[in-house]
Amino acid sequence: MDRVAAVDVDALERDALAAIGGAGSADELDEARVRYLGRKSELKLALREVRERERGMALNALREKLEQAVAAREAELRRPREDPTFDPTLPGTPIPRGSLHPLTQARRRIEDIFVGMGYEIFDGREVDSVYYNFEALNTPEAHPSRDPQDTFYVNARAVLRTHTSPSQIRAMERHGPPVYVASLGRVYRRDTLDATHTPIFHQVEALAVDRDITLADLKGTMQEFATAVFGGQREVRMRTSYFPFTEPSVEFDLSCYLCDGAGCSVCKQSGWIEMGGAGQVDPNVLEEVGYDPAAWQGFAWGLGIDRIAFNLHGMPDLRLFWENDIRFLGQF
Amino acid sequence: MKVPVSWLREYVAFDWPLDRLAAKLVVTSCEVDRISRRGVVDDDGNGERFLVGKVLEAGKHPNADRLQLCQVDVGEGDARQIVCGAWNFGAGATVAVALPGAVLPGADAPLGEAKLRGETSRGMILSERELELGDDHSGIMVLEDGIEPGTPLADVLPLGDDVLEIETGFNRPDLTSVYGIAREVAALTGAELAPPPGTDPERAGEEPVDVRVDDLAGCPRYVGRLLRGATIAESPRWLKARLLAAGMRPISNVVDVTNYVMLALGSPLHAFDLERLEGSRIVVRRATRGERLTTLDGQDRELTPDDLVIADATTPVAIAGIMGGEASEVRPETTDLLLEAANFDPLTVLRTSRRLRLRTESSTRWEKGVDPYAAEQAAIYATQLFAELAGARWTGHSDVNDGLPERPMVRLDAGLAERVAGMTFTTEEQVARLESLGFEARSGDVRVPTWRARDVTRPVDLVEEVVRFRIEELPATLPHRLVSAVQLTRDQRLRRQVEDVLAGAGFHEAYTWSLVPPGEGRIELEEPQSSELAALRTSLDHWLVESARRNRNAGVEPVALFELARVFLPSGGDLPDERWHVAGIADGGYFVAKGAVETLHRALHAELELDRVDLRELEDGWGYFELDLADLFARAPDVVVYEDVITYPALKQDLAFVVDEPVRAGALIAAARAAAGPELRDLSPFDVYRGDQVGPGKKSIAFAASFQSPDRTLADEDAARLRNRIVEALSRDFGAVLRA
Repeated sequence: MDRVAAVDVDALERDALAAIGGAGSADELDEARVRYLGRKSELKLALREVRERERGMALNALREKLEQAVAAREAELRRPREDPTFDPTLPGTPIPRGSLHPLTQARRRIEDIFVGMGYEIFDGREVDSVYYNFEALNTPEAHPSRDPQDTFYVNARAVLRTHTSPSQIRAMERHGPPVYVASLGRVYRRDTLDATHTPIFHQVEALAVDRDITLADLKGTMQEFATAVFGGQREVRMRTSYFPFTEPSVEFDLSCYLCDGAGCSVCKQSGWIEMGGAGQVDPNVLEEVGYDPAAWQGFAWGLGIDRIAFNLHGMPDLRLFWENDIRFLGQF
Repeated sequence: MKVPVSWLREYVAFDWPLDRLAAKLVVTSCEVDRISRRGVVDDDGNGERFLVGKVLEAGKHPNADRLQLCQVDVGEGDARQIVCGAWNFGAGATVAVALPGAVLPGADAPLGEAKLRGETSRGMILSERELELGDDHSGIMVLEDGIEPGTPLADVLPLGDDVLEIETGFNRPDLTSVYGIAREVAALTGAELAPPPGTDPERAGEEPVDVRVDDLAGCPRYVGRLLRGATIAESPRWLKARLLAAGMRPISNVVDVTNYVMLALGSPLHAFDLERLEGSRIVVRRATRGERLTTLDGQDRELTPDDLVIADATTPVAIAGIMGGEASEVRPETTDLLLEAANFDPLTVLRTSRRLRLRTESSTRWEKGVDPYAAEQAAIYATQLFAELAGARWTGHSDVNDGLPERPMVRLDAGLAERVAGMTFTTEEQVARLESLGFEARSGDVRVPTWRARDVTRPVDLVEEVVRFRIEELPATLPHRLVSAVQLTRDQRLRRQVEDVLAGAGFHEAYTWSLVPPGEGRIELEEPQSSELAALRTSLDHWLVESARRNRNAGVEPVALFELARVFLPSGGDLPDERWHVAGIADGGYFVAKGAVETLHRALHAELELDRVDLRELEDGWGYFELDLADLFARAPDVVVYEDVITYPALKQDLAFVVDEPVRAGALIAAARAAAGPELRDLSPFDVYRGDQVGPGKKSIAFAASFQSPDRTLADEDAARLRNRIVEALSRDFGAVLRA
């Protein structure tokens, strides 16, 4: 009788799948494989001789199906044996994990964005002289920021810096132009501690001075920065303002990252979130550090890091940053 | 400042909707905190429900002794019955009436028809306060006779107003007045600006005014005027309404006029009672030491020679630019006035106001620098209003000054705006813009108006004036920079590494105050905010321990915190020595803290030197460490140099030594290293035994030793040789005995 015709495909499939599925060990499986798929198996022999197209396709389909069944059973057998005493849902051995403070995480993110834009990160002083904190920054004697009601004086000539702007001066003194620096750190202002005010907080200051840096470049840089921090396509709005060390001066707002400008509780329905102050570096400041204002120009801007982290994480109270409750810290 | 819009419109008839104007001001000129509405809001016909009424009959309410029952004609033909609680009027009075349905200022719901003690009241007779026209609520407001009943109340009284609440920058003292804001609004909207208010009345005399200025630096200008025959009375309603809308309290016609003119023109004024000026004389001078003055707020204040005062022939009568004295204050019986329209030096006013902790509407204006030219116009306007409202006759004038400042000339560099802003501005546009702001542009030079003379002195200042009007149109571009390779500095990288190592080891990063209570070696602040935050910290422990305790008290477990921050050490100079420290605190005592420090050193490949680390066990079982990062980083190699630790295997042995109790493991290790040299790769104590087998006063320390050479396989004999050297050295130096 024709070996090909003698094969009962359905019966063979039934028997073979039963044998493969029933194999309880690698050896048993191998045995079944040899019997049904080995060189001398009924199937392989028939395949070698088959001429008829339809019949050949049917036999090949069966071969594929059996090979898959063998592979599947093989994988099943490799899996660890069901051990009734083994409970994989119990927790793993505790490996200590601490956390970086959310302000450190924000600081690093900001630093990395600036480094990516080609800015060096410059560490200024926290206690700085009246000269660096005010005078070199073109701050008039009568300016309210000099008032001891707002500023902590260490002595008549030194203050706890009220902003990161003195870093502008120190950075420019250290480098010749062009200079691209960002400076981050603690700043100090007399303020009663409450949900939205802390007497110590953190700022980032960016300074770019080169041949032809414009206010439009400032806007573009802010937009890049804001998009990197908050995601989406953030719009920057500038408003005319006054700072002694920039001219023109602006304050800048960001289209609200939560509602995209539609108005929500975070932006107090305005669609904008106040971010910080900025402007073109005042020629007096450049002169103070020995840069020629006719040859060099640039922008400076500053903003609060705490506010960024606060907004980003949707926090209700700034004091959480300083209370160091591990249940809070561990969230980040 | 609060700017009533009806007042603003008197000077500039702009046709922009108010919210558009506010939005533009915010971008180009100043902060607008909000637009508030005062008085009767004229929405949905609300204004038409306020009418002039004539009281036809008034008598006691049949069922209530304290109420009046009135019949009031409001032009409807039939009179309305209205119940009223005030008694300061009777039949025949002309009054202000609100009809049912009217919404009163500040009310949530409309007025209804009410039944009061059985009598229907179809409306309400109003007091000044109910209309926000004054603060008198002792009775209802009686209007002058002869107004037709039914006349809309808005035709005879300033019923409602919008108020722009503006915050002015330090550089824009010209925006601290209604007229100044009108000037800005005219430039923004293109609407025409009225001339500044005030025209001198006819002069009624040529009396000399005795003004002497001893300190022209502190007081560059003093316009003094005499006015006689004034009648002190309440101000008219329009004036009170404006002052209230602007946030000031009406007092009397003369005082109100000085405040009104200050708000209108930005130059503060003061009126003295001439009779109370000793010698009818004004001397502007510094105070002498110990001089005192009781100011209008009733406070007795001691003055110093830094304070500029206005004095009469003998004593101070005002603190210049800040507050007048009680003794020379205008009173109901005052008839003759000396009006002061001066100009004071910002710093002088500021210093005194800071020292006395006394800020007033006037001092905040002087601090920013008031245009000295404005004094005269303010004097003129006040004189006019004194004549109109108090019947005063102007009889004397003097103007003491040392020459008024020249208006600055600034070169208009037409290309500068584009170079600074990155957007094109034509010369014509720039000139037009500047002229709209009161600058005079002529052949490349620009003459700055007196009210901007302090702020605009350089070409770049002109650029701001031009750019701010189109700041919304600025494109967003990026610097054309050829970026050089930039990375964090070594210190910055290592600081991050320290943070990462500690966080990885289970410590949570804390942020604590840099300020602590005063203490040994701590630099103290001059005026601390509190005794808890009074000095700069020299170590990180104060608040870190406090934070750890708080966590423990809250039941948090385990507690492990670290902080990386600066400390401030006295340097002998003005500025302290600022150093980065890292500190940590954890449950588990000394050895937990030490483990963290060791991990930190291993991560940085630095050798731990115990005397360079503050490592201790605190009460309550805390382990604490703190170290100076510059010192740590100095001990860390920049680059790790390869050493072959794989090719030739290490030989490991355990060695136990019996030593006297006081001998420390660290000393044994140091001696063993010195004796064995670099082939002793590692020597780590793993057990300390005390007991019978070693005897009293002794202990046995067991070490795991590892011998390895980078260039050959050590034989057993090599290990034996190294071990012998160690044994000999430890025996010699410490009397240590090797245990079997």
